[in-house]
Amino acid sequence: MISMISPLDRRRHLTGLAFITPTMLVIIAILVYPILQSIVLSFGQSSIDGSGPYQFVGLKHYAALAGNDRFWNSLWVTLTFTAISIPLELAMGIGLAVLMNEHFRFKGIARLAVLFPWALPTALNTLMWRWMYNTDYGLFNAAALQSGLVDRPINWLGDETLAMMSMVVVAVWKTSSFMALIILAGLQSIPRDLYEAGRMDGMTRWQEFREITLPLLKGPILVALIVRSMDALRTFELPFNLTDGGPVTATESLSLYAYKVIFDFIEFNYGAAIVVVQFLVIFAMSLLYILTLRNKD
Amino acid sequence: MTKRPRFGLYALVILSVVVSFLPIIWLVLTSLKTTEGIYAWPPQYLPDPFTLKNYINIFTNSPELLLYVLNSFIVALGCTVVALSFGGMAGYALSRLGMRRAGVLMVFILAVSMFPPVSLLPSLFQTFLNLGLLNTYTGLIIAHTGLFLPFTVWMLASYFATLPPEIEEAARMDGMGFFRIFWSIVIPLSWPGFVATGLIVFIFSWNEFPLALVLMTQNAMRTAPVGISLYPGEYAFPWETISTATVIAIVPVLIITAIFQKQIVGGLTAGAGK
Repeated sequence: MISMISPLDRRRHLTGLAFITPTMLVIIAILVYPILQSIVLSFGQSSIDGSGPYQFVGLKHYAALAGNDRFWNSLWVTLTFTAISIPLELAMGIGLAVLMNEHFRFKGIARLAVLFPWALPTALNTLMWRWMYNTDYGLFNAAALQSGLVDRPINWLGDETLAMMSMVVVAVWKTSSFMALIILAGLQSIPRDLYEAGRMDGMTRWQEFREITLPLLKGPILVALIVRSMDALRTFELPFNLTDGGPVTATESLSLYAYKVIFDFIEFNYGAAIVVVQFLVIFAMSLLYILTLRNKD
Repeated sequence: MTKRPRFGLYALVILSVVVSFLPIIWLVLTSLKTTEGIYAWPPQYLPDPFTLKNYINIFTNSPELLLYVLNSFIVALGCTVVALSFGGMAGYALSRLGMRRAGVLMVFILAVSMFPPVSLLPSLFQTFLNLGLLNTYTGLIIAHTGLFLPFTVWMLASYFATLPPEIEEAARMDGMGFFRIFWSIVIPLSWPGFVATGLIVFIFSWNEFPLALVLMTQNAMRTAPVGISLYPGEYAFPWETISTATVIAIVPVLIITAIFQKQIVGGLTAGAGK
């Protein structure tokens, strides 16, 4: 078969190529090439600026990781943090979305209040919370001591379990709004008549929610869950600013540990092995994401 | 229709608003206290005496904190302009120019957007060091553009897909070239999409932390989130300065969010729904 390419199609094709080239160059330079280089670095030994000779060492760094308790701890911290904060964020997000879907006065202000925690930099949000958690001068201890709830200040960020919980609270405060917004968009797309039909059948509010709302929200909830899980798996500035991973390493996430190995201990190749492992964990999640989206269409 | 009780609803709304605002309110109150007031016992809930001294001190004693805000502004603005230009063109190519394998390319762009930023750091640091891009606005603008281009492309491609194709077809009949059509017809028609996307990219870049931390190592080049986080105290974290600097650094984001909340929410939910 002879394909007929008209001059117009040809021009369209060339324009398309020209239009997409700048984006592809930037994406390859900033996202694709660095990942590939991290993989190469993780299998060898080299100097910081890459000027010295690269020496292939095989799986040496990965073998060292397998026996490194601090690495396993950071993986465990990351997974625990994700597993605790995501369900809480989801519950809060659904609650907020249902609330924002009601009609009430001053809705604009309420929506803004929900949007603010998401819109502000995580690093600075975290500083605000660290200040409220402050043992000697923080708002929480001031209120708790004055009201007589406790008679000694609580060391919110100095106790291993408490520090993790404090970190989860900041994450939930910050990102429930994102969940809420996505779920709210889903809520608003549910046809009104479904509820009217339900009311005719004498459904209670709770039954309405369970039997009409939730099943129709499955799609948006899944998307919100996966996007947020990937964010939680790479959490960095939250422990960096709240606890610096402490006490000891109780809140040291994978990203934070990798950063310390690379830029504090200046071990680029070993750090590269850690980020490759982290990349694989998140890559598995993103595959799940894309497969889910494929099935949705 | 029966009227449902509203008290519970309003109580919950007020509770959510208070919890959302609490850290910000406490921060603003702290920034308006004297140093003695901040560290007083019994604790001061409202500033007494109320003072603007911390704000004046920032201008006179720690102008580097204002420099951080300026750096953030330059980087976020640069990143937004470049991402919208490149992303707009790419989005148009992918949604309207009948590119082969456009679907595969869209999935590829989505997949690379999920790379954890920390996994880019060893390589980006080395490359930027060798190219002399560390501690330059250009360097961080390119890095942020790369980070947020996938989002931009997806947002704009789906916006272009909602435009009626007849207008472009008519323009082509009149003998307009593809570039002219994009420039003088598609862009003017799509400005709401560009505004929503641009605002979100601006906020993303303003808030970005790991790359800004590693690629800007000189104090004078730091962005606001990084500079304030690393702000050195002599013996303890100087909360009167930190709270004031943080208020200054979040005001631009607060204003943008307050004015454009509809566009931002619309863009966010559309982006995540795709």
